[in-house]
Amino acid sequence: MAASAGSSVIVESTAAQYAPLIILLPMLAFPIILLFGKLYNGEKFWKDNLKEGGLIALPVMGASLLLALWLISDFIGAYGGVQKLSDWTWFTSSIWESGFATQEVSFGFGIHVDHITVLLLFVASFLCLLINTFAVGYMNTDPINDNRNHRFYAEFVLFCSGMLGMVLADSFLWLFIFWELMGLCSYLLIGFYYERPSAAYAAKKAFLTTRVGDVFLMVGLAMMWYLFGSLDYDVVFDKYEIKAVAETNASMLAWSLGLMFIGAVGKSAQFPLHVWLPDAMEGPTPVSALIHAATMVNAGLYLVARMFPFFGAEALHGELADLAFIIAAIGGTTAVMAAAIAFVQDDLKKVLAYSTMSQLAYIFTGLGAALYLANTLHWHEYLTDGTKNPDYYVNHAIVIVAFGAALFHLFNHAMAKGMLFMASGAVIHEVHHAHHHLHHHDHDESHHDTPEELIMLANYLEANGQTAFDFFSSIDLDGSGEIDTYEFQTALKKADVVDLPPWEMAPLMKALDLDGNGSINVPELDLTLGRIRKEIEEGHHDDHHDDFDAQSMDNMGGLASKMPLTATAMLVGSLSIMGFPLIGGFWSKEGIIANTWRVALEDPRFMYPALCVLLGAGMTGFYMSRMWLKTFAGSPKGEVAAHVGPTNTWIKTPLFILTFFSLAGILFASMGFTHWAPDIEYGLMSDHGGLWGGFLYEMEHVFANEKAFFFILTYVALFIGAVVGPGMALSLYGGALDEGEEAKAWFTPVLALNAAVKGRYHWDNSSFAQSGFATALSNRLYFDHYYDMAMLKIVAAFSFKSAEADSKVIDGTIKTIERTSQQLSTKLRALTTGSARDYILMAAVGTLTLFALIWGVIA
Amino acid sequence: METMQAFDDGFATALAPEIVLVIGMFTLMIAPNLGDAKFRIPLTQIRIPWFFGGKRGALESDPRMPGLFASVFFVLAFLLAALSYVNGMNVTMIQSEGGHDLLLVNEFSRIFELIFYGALALASIASINRIPATSRNDRSALGLYNNRRQVDFYILLMTTGLGMSIVALAQDLFLLFIGLELASFSTYVLVSFMKETKEGTEAGMKYFIVGSVASGVGLYGLSLLYLWSGSLQFTELTIAFAENGMEPLPLIALGMLLVGFGFKVSAAPFHFAAPDAYAGATSPVAGVLATASKAMGVIGLLRILLVVASPEATDGAAVWLVALAVLSVVTMTWGNLAALGSTNPKRMLAYSSVAHAGYMLAAITAIGALNWEPEHLNVSNDAALAVVTALIFHLVVLVCFKLGAFLVLSILESEKGGHTLASLGGLAKREPFLAATMFIFMMSLAGVPPLSGFVSKLLVIMGIVKVALVDVTVSGNLTFSDVHWVWYLALLMVINSAISVFYYLRVGLVMFFHEPEAGREGPLPQGKSVRLAIFACLLTTLYFGVGAGQLIALCESAANALVGAW
Repeated sequence: MAASAGSSVIVESTAAQYAPLIILLPMLAFPIILLFGKLYNGEKFWKDNLKEGGLIALPVMGASLLLALWLISDFIGAYGGVQKLSDWTWFTSSIWESGFATQEVSFGFGIHVDHITVLLLFVASFLCLLINTFAVGYMNTDPINDNRNHRFYAEFVLFCSGMLGMVLADSFLWLFIFWELMGLCSYLLIGFYYERPSAAYAAKKAFLTTRVGDVFLMVGLAMMWYLFGSLDYDVVFDKYEIKAVAETNASMLAWSLGLMFIGAVGKSAQFPLHVWLPDAMEGPTPVSALIHAATMVNAGLYLVARMFPFFGAEALHGELADLAFIIAAIGGTTAVMAAAIAFVQDDLKKVLAYSTMSQLAYIFTGLGAALYLANTLHWHEYLTDGTKNPDYYVNHAIVIVAFGAALFHLFNHAMAKGMLFMASGAVIHEVHHAHHHLHHHDHDESHHDTPEELIMLANYLEANGQTAFDFFSSIDLDGSGEIDTYEFQTALKKADVVDLPPWEMAPLMKALDLDGNGSINVPELDLTLGRIRKEIEEGHHDDHHDDFDAQSMDNMGGLASKMPLTATAMLVGSLSIMGFPLIGGFWSKEGIIANTWRVALEDPRFMYPALCVLLGAGMTGFYMSRMWLKTFAGSPKGEVAAHVGPTNTWIKTPLFILTFFSLAGILFASMGFTHWAPDIEYGLMSDHGGLWGGFLYEMEHVFANEKAFFFILTYVALFIGAVVGPGMALSLYGGALDEGEEAKAWFTPVLALNAAVKGRYHWDNSSFAQSGFATALSNRLYFDHYYDMAMLKIVAAFSFKSAEADSKVIDGTIKTIERTSQQLSTKLRALTTGSARDYILMAAVGTLTLFALIWGVIA
Repeated sequence: METMQAFDDGFATALAPEIVLVIGMFTLMIAPNLGDAKFRIPLTQIRIPWFFGGKRGALESDPRMPGLFASVFFVLAFLLAALSYVNGMNVTMIQSEGGHDLLLVNEFSRIFELIFYGALALASIASINRIPATSRNDRSALGLYNNRRQVDFYILLMTTGLGMSIVALAQDLFLLFIGLELASFSTYVLVSFMKETKEGTEAGMKYFIVGSVASGVGLYGLSLLYLWSGSLQFTELTIAFAENGMEPLPLIALGMLLVGFGFKVSAAPFHFAAPDAYAGATSPVAGVLATASKAMGVIGLLRILLVVASPEATDGAAVWLVALAVLSVVTMTWGNLAALGSTNPKRMLAYSSVAHAGYMLAAITAIGALNWEPEHLNVSNDAALAVVTALIFHLVVLVCFKLGAFLVLSILESEKGGHTLASLGGLAKREPFLAATMFIFMMSLAGVPPLSGFVSKLLVIMGIVKVALVDVTVSGNLTFSDVHWVWYLALLMVINSAISVFYYLRVGLVMFFHEPEAGREGPLPQGKSVRLAIFACLLTTLYFGVGAGQLIALCESAANALVGAW
C-alpha cells in the first residue's frame, strides 16, 4: 500500500528483492498443477514420477523455504529493526478526503520484515515443505485419492502462498486478502472428500464460522482506515500517527483492535468460535489437520501479535489494558475448556484438535499478558515528556520476555503439533492398511457387491407390497418383456427410489442382468430382489468396513514396537506439548505461566487466566499422556492393531526432522528465542555470551529464579504439568507391551513406569465417566447444538426472507434490465441493414446533428 | 528542439522507422522477381547478370518469403522507434524549404509509431500462417494465384503503416490528410483482399463507399478551413482560431472534420460499415482496423479538437463540447447494446470497439470542459494531462488484447470457424491454453483487474472525474453543483462497462461450458507464428496490467508533448 514516509528503517537487502518470490512461486504452481492434473490425469508418468503434482509442489516449496531462510539470515544479520522492503506500486489513485483535498493512495505490495514476521515465516515455509513431503507418502498411497491428488496439491500450494503472503504483507489490507485466501483453501481442503456429506458439512461449518470472525475483522480494519487513513504498517505503527489518533480517538482505536481480535478468535478457533476446528479433521487425514494445527490457526495469533505496536505505544499507555485482559481471558477459558473436552475423545485426531485449541489458547493468554505489560508499564527509553525513563531497563526486559515467551510457544507448538499430526496420520494410515489387508479376503466371499439403490428398491417394493412382477409390468414401457437401462432409470425415478444419471445405471444393470444380454427380464429381477431381501433380513448388509474406525484409539494400543519412529515422534511431541522439562514447549510454557502470574500480581482480574493456565498445564499432561498410552502402550486392542507395520520414507522423513526440532527446545532457548526482540540487546545469540552463556542463563532463570514467588511457581507448574497430569494418565491407561514385543530402549522407562503405576494406583474413574459432565464433554459442551438452534431460529428465517427478496426485487430488476437491453440491441442492430446507402444516410443524419449541436452552443 | 529540412543531416535518424518501411516496400516489390536472368549486350556474346527475371532461387520463390520479410521490417521499424527512447528523445521538426512545419518527431508521435508498428508487426506475423500459401511447387491455378498475391498483402500492410505514421508525425492538416488517405486506401483493399469470398468483397466495397463519403466530407471541411485562414499549419490554425474561431466558416469546417475522423474511430452513427468490414476481413486485418486504424483516427481528433480548436482558445467550455459529449454517449451505448445481441464474435468485437471509441470520445470531451482561467490553469493542465495519458495508454493496451482476441479468432478462421459464437464452443477442451488466453483477453476488454484493460479504463474514468472536480479542487469546497457535468460521462462509462461484461463473459461461457460443434472436436490447425503473436499479446496484456507504471510514464511523456503544444 502507500509508501509514505514512516519510522521504519529501510535496509537494502538482496534477499528482500527476491522475497516476493516466496509468495509468488507457490501461487504460480497452483494453476500449473491444476492444469497438468486435468490434462494428464491418470497417465503413468504423471502418477508415478510426478506423484500427481506432489513433486511439482515439493521443489516449489523448497525454493520458498530457501528464499525465506535467506531473508531471515539477512534480517538476523542486520539486527534489523523493522524492514520494509521491495515496494511495488501498482497504480496510484486519489481518494477524496472530507471536503478539502485529495489524498494520494498507492495500491501495491510491499514486504514487511520484523522479528514476528521472521518467526512465522520460518514456521510456515518450513512446515509447508514438510507437510508436502509427508503428503507425497500419505495421499499418493491411498487408492481413494487416485486421480484427484492434483486437486489436493494445487489447493495446498495456494494455501501456502496465502500463509506466506499474510506473514510477509506490509499492510493490514494485504494481510486480510491473504487471510481470506487461506480461508478459501481451508474450505476446499476440508471439503476435499466432498462426496462425503460430513466433509461437505465440516467445510461449510469451518468457512461460515471463521467468516463470522472475519466480518468483525473487516469492520475493525475499516475503523482503523478511518482513524489512520491507511492500513499500511508503515503508517499505522508510526508512533506519531498513533499519538495523533490517541489524542482524539483512543476508544475507537481500542474498539477497532477488539473487533480485529474477534477475527483472530475465529481463525484460531478460540471460544466461542471454536466449533469448526474439530470438524475440520474431515479433511484428508493428517495434512489438512496439520494445516489446521500448525500453520493456518497461527494466523489469528499473528494478527494479535501484530497489534503489539499499539499496545506498546507510550501514547496509549493504559488505554488498552482491558482489551489485553479480554484476550487473556478468552485464552484462559479456551485452554481449560478444550483440555477438558480432550479428556473424553477417543478419536486420535480429535484429541489433537482439542489440544491445538488449548495450546493456541495458551499463546493467546501469553500474548494477552505481554500486551497488558506493554500497555501498562513505561518501557520506552524516554517518557512522553522527553525525560529519561528510570525504569527503562527493568520494564523493557519484562515486556520483551513476556512477548517472547508467547511467540516462542507458537514456534514450539507449531513444530510439536505438526509432528504429532503427521505421526497420527501415519498411525491411522497404517491401521487402515492393516485393516484393509486383514479383511480384504473375506470381503470377496461373503459380501456380494449389491448396489445400494437395489436395496432401496427392494425395501420400496416390500413397503408397498408389490411383487417383482407387478413392478416389472409397470415399468416395461414398450411391452417388450425386457427392460432396458432407460426404462429402468425412468421407473426408479418415478417410484421415487432414486434419480440416477444414465451413466451411473451401469452397475445396477450389471447386478441385475444375470444372463448378460444387456436388458432385464422378470426372472432376473425376481431372483436378484429376492436374494437382496433375504440378505437384508439376515442382516448381511452392515458393512463392517465402514464400521471400522481407523482413527479410534480403541482400535490401537501396543503400537510402540511396531512403529518405533512414529511412537518416538509422538512421545517427543507429547512431552513438548505437556511442557516436560528441557524439551521444546517447556521453555515457552513456563514463560507464559510466569508472565500471566506476574500480571495477576498487579491486576487481580488476571487471576482468572492465571489459574486457568496453571490448571490447563495439568490437564494437558493428562490428555496428552492418555493419548500416547492408549495408542502405543499396553496390548493391542483388537486384531487390526496387532498387524500394523512400519510406514514409508516420505512419511518418516518429516517426522524425523521435527522430532529433532522439538527435542532441541533447549538449543533454541539458549539461542535466546525466549526473549527475541528486534534489537541488538535481545537479538538471537546476542546476549549472555553465546550459546553456552544463554544455556546457563535460561537454566538459572527457570530453575533457580531469584524471586521466591516465581521460584515456587515454576515448581508448582512443573509438578502439576509433568507429574500430576501424566501420573493420573499412567495409572489409568496403557500398560506393558505384550510378551515378545521388542520396543526401542528409550521407551523402556516410560513403559516400565506405566506398568508399575497402573498396577499399583489404579483408581476408579467410572463415576466420572458416567456423570453428566462427561456426557456433556463428549457432546462438546453442546456448543454445536445451541449454535445450530440459533441458526435455525434466527439466521435461517432471515435468510429465507432474503432469498425471497433477492429473487423478486434484485433478480427482477436485473432481469428487466437484461430483457430491455436485449430488445434494444435487436432494434439497434436492425438499423444495420447491410446496404451502404442506408449507412450514408445515417452518417448524414449524424452530421446534421453535429452541426445542430455546435450551432446550439454558439447561438 | 532541432529544426531541419528534408534530407539534412539527422533526417535519416529522425525518420528511421519510416525509411525502413519504404525500403521494405521496395524490397518486397523487387525480391520476388529476382532470378538468374542475364542480359546479353547486343551483337556480342557478353552476358551481364541482370537478375530481373529468369529462374528464381529458393528464397525468392518461397511464397512465405514476403510475410517473413514484412514481419522483419515491421519489427525493425518498431525497434527503431523504441530505440529513440534510449538516451532521451531527440525532438526534431522537419520543415519545408519555405519554413513551414511538416513533420514533428517527439514523444507523442513516437508512441503512436510504436502502436502502429506493434499492431502491424503482430498482424503480419499472424498472417504468415493465415493467408493461404502453398508450396512453391504448387502449379495449380489457385495455388499459383494465392502464392503470387502474398506480396501484395504485405506491401499494403506497409503502406498502411507508412500512412499512419505520417498522421502521427504531421504538423500540417493537409499532410495529415494525405497520410490518413494513404492508410485508408490500403485498408480498403486489405479488407476485400479475399475477393473470392462474397463477404470480403462486399465488406470492402461498403467500407470504401462509406469511407470515401466520410473522407470527402472531411476534405471539404479542410478546404473550408484553408479558405478561412489561408493555411493548414496547426500553429497558424490555432492562432487563427483563438482570434476569431466563432465565425461560421471554421465551425462548419470543424463539424465536417469531426465526421471524417469520426468514421475512422468508428463513432456512432458513422460506424455502420465497421462491423461489416471487420466481419468480412481476415481477422488480423480486422484487428489492425480495430486498433491501429482507430489510434490514427484518435490522433486526428486530438489534433483538430485539442490543438486547432483548442479549448484554451475559448472562454469556458469548448464549442464542440456538447456535440462531442452527445457523440460519445451515443457511441458507447450503441456499441454496447448492439454487441449484446451479436452472435458473430467478429461483429461483437467490432461493436465493442465502437463502445471503446465512445469511452475515448468521453475522455476527449472531458478536456473540452476544462476551465482555463488563470487560477485554474495548473489544475486544469494536470487534469488534461491525466486524460490524454489515459487515452494514449488505452490505445496502447488495446493493441494487446483486442488484436489478441482477433488473432485467436483467426486461428478458428483457418478451420472455417470464427464467424459464429458456436464455433468457439468447447474451445477449452480442444485447446485449453488458447481458450484461457481468449478468456483473459475478454476479461481485459471488460476491464477486470489486474489486467491492462482494467488499468486503462480506470485511468480514463479517473481522468474524467479529475476534470469534473477541477472547480472543486480550486475552490476547496465539495459541493455537488460545482462538479462539472462531464462527471456523468464517467458514470455512463461505468454503467456501459457493466453491460459489456455480459457479452464478454458469454464468450467464456461458450468456450468453457458448451460442447464443440460437430466436426470441430480435435485441436485447431497449427500455426506457429500466429500462436507466437497471440502469446506476445497475452504477455503484454498481463504485464501492462500488473506493471503498468513504466508504460504510464511513457504515455505521460507523450501526453506532455501534446499538451505542451497547446
